[in-house]
Amino acid sequence: MNSSLLAWIILIPFISSFVLGALYLYSISIKKINDTIFTFLAILAPITSFLIGVAFFLSLKNGATDYMYEPYTWLGVNGYIISMGFLGDKLSIFMVLFVTFIGSTIHVYAAGYMKGDEGYGKFFSYFNLFMASMLLLVLANSPIIMFIGWEGVGLCSYLLIGFYFTEPLNVVAGNKAFIVNRVGDLGFIIGLVIMFFYVGKLGFDYYALEDYISLVPTSILTIIGIALFVGAMGKSAQIPLYVWLPDAMAGPTPVSALIHAATMVTAGVYMVARFHFLYDLIPHVGEFMAYIGAFSALFAAIIAMRQTDIKKILAYSTISQLGYMFIAVGLGAYSTGLFHVFTHAFFKALLFMGAGAVIIAVGHEQNIFKMGGLRKKLPLVYSVMLIATLAISGIPPFSGFFSKDEILLKAYRHHEYLIYGIGLFTAALTAYYMFRLFFVTFHGKNYKQKEMHYLSWSMKAPLLVLAFGATVAGFVGLPEVFSQTNLIDEWLKAYSGGALHVEHTTEIMFMGISVVVGLAGIVVAYVKYFKYDFNKEIQESGIVYNKFYIDEVYHFIFVRGIQKLSRFISVDVDDGVIDKAVMSLCGGFINMGRRIGRMQCANTRVYAFFMLLGISSFSLYLILKLG
Amino acid sequence: MIEASFISYISLAILLFSIGIMGLISRKNIFIIYMSIELMLNAINIIFVTLSKYFGSMDGQIIAMMVMAIAASEAAIFLSLIVAMYRLKHSVNIDDFNTLKQKDTL
Amino acid sequence: MDIGLLSFIIFLPLIVSFILLVLPVGMKITRNIAFVTTIIVFLLSLSIFFKFQLTDYMQFREFHPWISSYGIYYSLGVDGFSMIILMLITTLIPLGYLFLWKTKKSKGYWASMLLIQTGVTGALLSLDLVLFYFFWESMLLPVFMIIGIYGTGNRIFSTLKITIYTIMGSLFMLVSILYLGVAFYNEFGVWSFQLSDLVQITTLSNFERTLLFFGFMIAFAIKIPLFPFHTWLMQTYSNSPTGGVFILSAIMAKLGIYGIVRFVLPLFPHQYVEFAPYFVGLGVFGLIYFGIAALMQQNIKRMFAYSSASHLAFITAGIFSLNAYGMTGAAFLIVAHAMATGGLFLLTGTIEYDLGIRSISGLGGIAKKAPFLTVAFALMLLCIVGLPGTNGFVSELLIIFGLFEYNHYVGVISALTVLVAASFMFWLFQRAILVKTDNDVSKMKDLDIKEIVGIFGLAAVIIAMGLYPHWFLYKIEPTIQHYLVDILKVGIGS
Repeated sequence: MNSSLLAWIILIPFISSFVLGALYLYSISIKKINDTIFTFLAILAPITSFLIGVAFFLSLKNGATDYMYEPYTWLGVNGYIISMGFLGDKLSIFMVLFVTFIGSTIHVYAAGYMKGDEGYGKFFSYFNLFMASMLLLVLANSPIIMFIGWEGVGLCSYLLIGFYFTEPLNVVAGNKAFIVNRVGDLGFIIGLVIMFFYVGKLGFDYYALEDYISLVPTSILTIIGIALFVGAMGKSAQIPLYVWLPDAMAGPTPVSALIHAATMVTAGVYMVARFHFLYDLIPHVGEFMAYIGAFSALFAAIIAMRQTDIKKILAYSTISQLGYMFIAVGLGAYSTGLFHVFTHAFFKALLFMGAGAVIIAVGHEQNIFKMGGLRKKLPLVYSVMLIATLAISGIPPFSGFFSKDEILLKAYRHHEYLIYGIGLFTAALTAYYMFRLFFVTFHGKNYKQKEMHYLSWSMKAPLLVLAFGATVAGFVGLPEVFSQTNLIDEWLKAYSGGALHVEHTTEIMFMGISVVVGLAGIVVAYVKYFKYDFNKEIQESGIVYNKFYIDEVYHFIFVRGIQKLSRFISVDVDDGVIDKAVMSLCGGFINMGRRIGRMQCANTRVYAFFMLLGISSFSLYLILKLG
Repeated sequence: MIEASFISYISLAILLFSIGIMGLISRKNIFIIYMSIELMLNAINIIFVTLSKYFGSMDGQIIAMMVMAIAASEAAIFLSLIVAMYRLKHSVNIDDFNTLKQKDTL
Repeated sequence: MDIGLLSFIIFLPLIVSFILLVLPVGMKITRNIAFVTTIIVFLLSLSIFFKFQLTDYMQFREFHPWISSYGIYYSLGVDGFSMIILMLITTLIPLGYLFLWKTKKSKGYWASMLLIQTGVTGALLSLDLVLFYFFWESMLLPVFMIIGIYGTGNRIFSTLKITIYTIMGSLFMLVSILYLGVAFYNEFGVWSFQLSDLVQITTLSNFERTLLFFGFMIAFAIKIPLFPFHTWLMQTYSNSPTGGVFILSAIMAKLGIYGIVRFVLPLFPHQYVEFAPYFVGLGVFGLIYFGIAALMQQNIKRMFAYSSASHLAFITAGIFSLNAYGMTGAAFLIVAHAMATGGLFLLTGTIEYDLGIRSISGLGGIAKKAPFLTVAFALMLLCIVGLPGTNGFVSELLIIFGLFEYNHYVGVISALTVLVAASFMFWLFQRAILVKTDNDVSKMKDLDIKEIVGIFGLAAVIIAMGLYPHWFLYKIEPTIQHYLVDILKVGIGS
């Protein structure tokens, strides 16, 4: 296969985005264009990319070596060259496959969801720009090119969160997402720069880095590792930079499904896996990462228990699941983490799309306590949501079970018992809050909705596809007890962190524990919420409902603090001290001029006196000088 | 005794010149000022004539004659100017003619 | 006497401007002819770009006696560093014209714009210090006119402030230039103010050189402006008309940086290295200081003034980082920032023209009325913020590399640049452009076709430079290596 096709995987969505954007501007300012054209152009792009990805996948599967394509020198300073280059290895093609696949289904879904929206073309332009950036992130062959995609997805996230930009709240949420992500990017860029100076000069693509990274002293590697992880924290919404993700739900639901659940937020996990050669050398940073992941998982799950907004619950559950992924990659089990990325993409996208369908159906209401009993009215959505909820709760045979269980097992095997405990407890909480959502939304009684909105097929079909995916995605990574070959570990052999052989009985025992814990969560939710009555309005409150007031604290410290500092600088220092100094220097000259001007008193005798004085002193000088 | 008389001539000139300067500085009446200036001119003339005599050269006397001639023509212009100024302000006080003074400073 | 290409570039606008002022033609003809003139100049400079050879010495030299008894020559030349700034100036000015097209209805305005072009290109291309000083001061006069006559608010005060402030700074430079000339005369027995001659002076003591170094630096620091010489900037920017602020921010401030590289660096290499830590510190401090100050500004132009100051401080840090990354990045950021900030000021000018409002709180909801303007605004803003894919990112990355090589801690602190601009720019975008408010913006019109061509052409260049920076950068590489290796003798960095 021609490796230049790698570039086309990225270029096609990019061109599509550009064309859509131009057409949209044309459409709103000159002549209206039919939405069908937009739909066609939009959906074509991810599908084409997907097909190219499949071709690469097959070729790699048949034993082809990694594809490398470097069309031109991106930057060359000082004799060091950074190429615009793309790398198609097993990891990146794996990512390409699921990103484009999920992307394609969500495109189809969005065509239904956004139907009739004023910004239809704009939406797909942004969406495809996101696809292009995400694919660039994944396919890049050096950290700098990856960073282009990294920031690109952040930009698209900003644009799509603030899609309905006339509402202040949406734009504020977008800004928050962008700025918090930029804090992460600050870490990323610092890591990048340090890495460039210690190893990058020998070559800055992943191969060269992998070869030479061992030349760097461990202390520096630790700094690089932590700095890069700060970037991942921002993008993948981990403590302490998770605050943007719940607010990001202000965007349209397909955006939440694609960007803030399935793909972009997992970029941090991908990045850590991509730098596995670095993190392998610094297991203490990995451990730190795993703890951050575990605490994020727990913390987000606790918050999710009390939320009422359907999308916010899902957002917190995303943070929680991302925490699991960081446990895995932190402990060196990259392929396990990526396996969870993979399964999570299916069931979380499905959950969001189901939630979107619900929201549309009940007329843009997002509070779960204001809906209920939708089981009868939306049977299809009900069943797919059930699958997805079971999957996230870790009930076999749905996909989430296998990946989550493997993560917990890995944690146990690495003797990280605290992490294991937290993970297990979080699993129970997950089952609880997800079924709370599920029962309240679909089983509650007495919901009086006047009319249900019609769901088009373009929204239903993707649900079915993803429901199928959420059911079977777990089978690619079956544990040893069921199957000899774990397809994911096989494919991502370089990232599996070494095989951990486990006794079959132990493995089954752990599965049993996981299932029991999950079921316990479901039972509690059942008792509490299955017979939930719509008329009995539930009002959540308390510190958990208010997310531990973290947002308020951040706002007070950072936003207010910097605003105060800004005012202090511009008013007190700049105007009050510096400009005053300049102007008083100026005023000093004016005063001097005024004083000298006073000698011109318009009194002839004074002038005459000055004249006398001048002549006398001049004469005196002459007499003394000439003798 | 040429030395003694030389010193007394010069002293006279200095005295006259000083009187002229004092008049110039201290008086307000334009006529008095004019007369003080003339006095100074004449003091200079005395010096010219004295030095001419002293050095035995006629140059000083010629210059003294020229100064007197110029002073005469100057007097004509000066007096006519004073008349014009008097017509304007009805005053011969020099302090009334400070029209070029800046009224208000910056 | 043959007239070289560079002379033609410099003096064509001047000649056209005089002819237009003398002839009894109307505003429209003046404007159109002025525009055509700038296009011709652009094409000429484009030919320079393509004929430019990959070497480190001055090209397209012109050398004629001017005041020969004092060794003052009319001496011009281009090297890699000035070539990209020349390209920048000649590209930006016609694009700016497209935006100013409707806003100013006065003949003198357009004539002044041409005069400015002569001043800036002259200062950029001269290699004789007296000639440089001549152009350096003469470019201020049309700006004085433009702000004083066509400005708003307290315009007389502003124009006096900028003029006196910068002339005061320049006087230090003038004294330094004369001192150097006299020193050269004392040593070699002939008068010369040629840069290539003055660098050969050996008799000056270290103390004298330090004084002269600061004499030059004050002039450039005021023009750039560096902390604490920046207070003229905010007032001037908020009171000057769009064209004036466009020229000031996009071009003149950059010439301050250029002056440091062109004159201070070769004349006082020892001092340049010795005082580099202070200027790097000042630059990084300014980056953060101005960035934070920008956040709470109420007037858009004032906010952009702080934003410009922040970036220019960063550029200054870059050129004092004493390695190829920082210098190249600074050269690139000069271009990137000039384009983006110039574009932003032009767009702000359009908003101001339509609505007559400059305070952020008085705007809002423009995006619905003017989608093209919004897209253009967003693109320029992203370049300022340094988003990858724009040239702003490439240059900021290179400067961070350079500063990191210079000193690890400074490098890490300077990485804050990714955060500083983003915070106030996005907040501004939210309040002024996107969110609908109660303010009446019904008079807002979208960009017309000329403006769309201009601004999106600019955006295309910004993105092209972001995606393929190497094509634009390799021509300045020899020049920068020459500065670092032959003049400063610090090496190009590891």
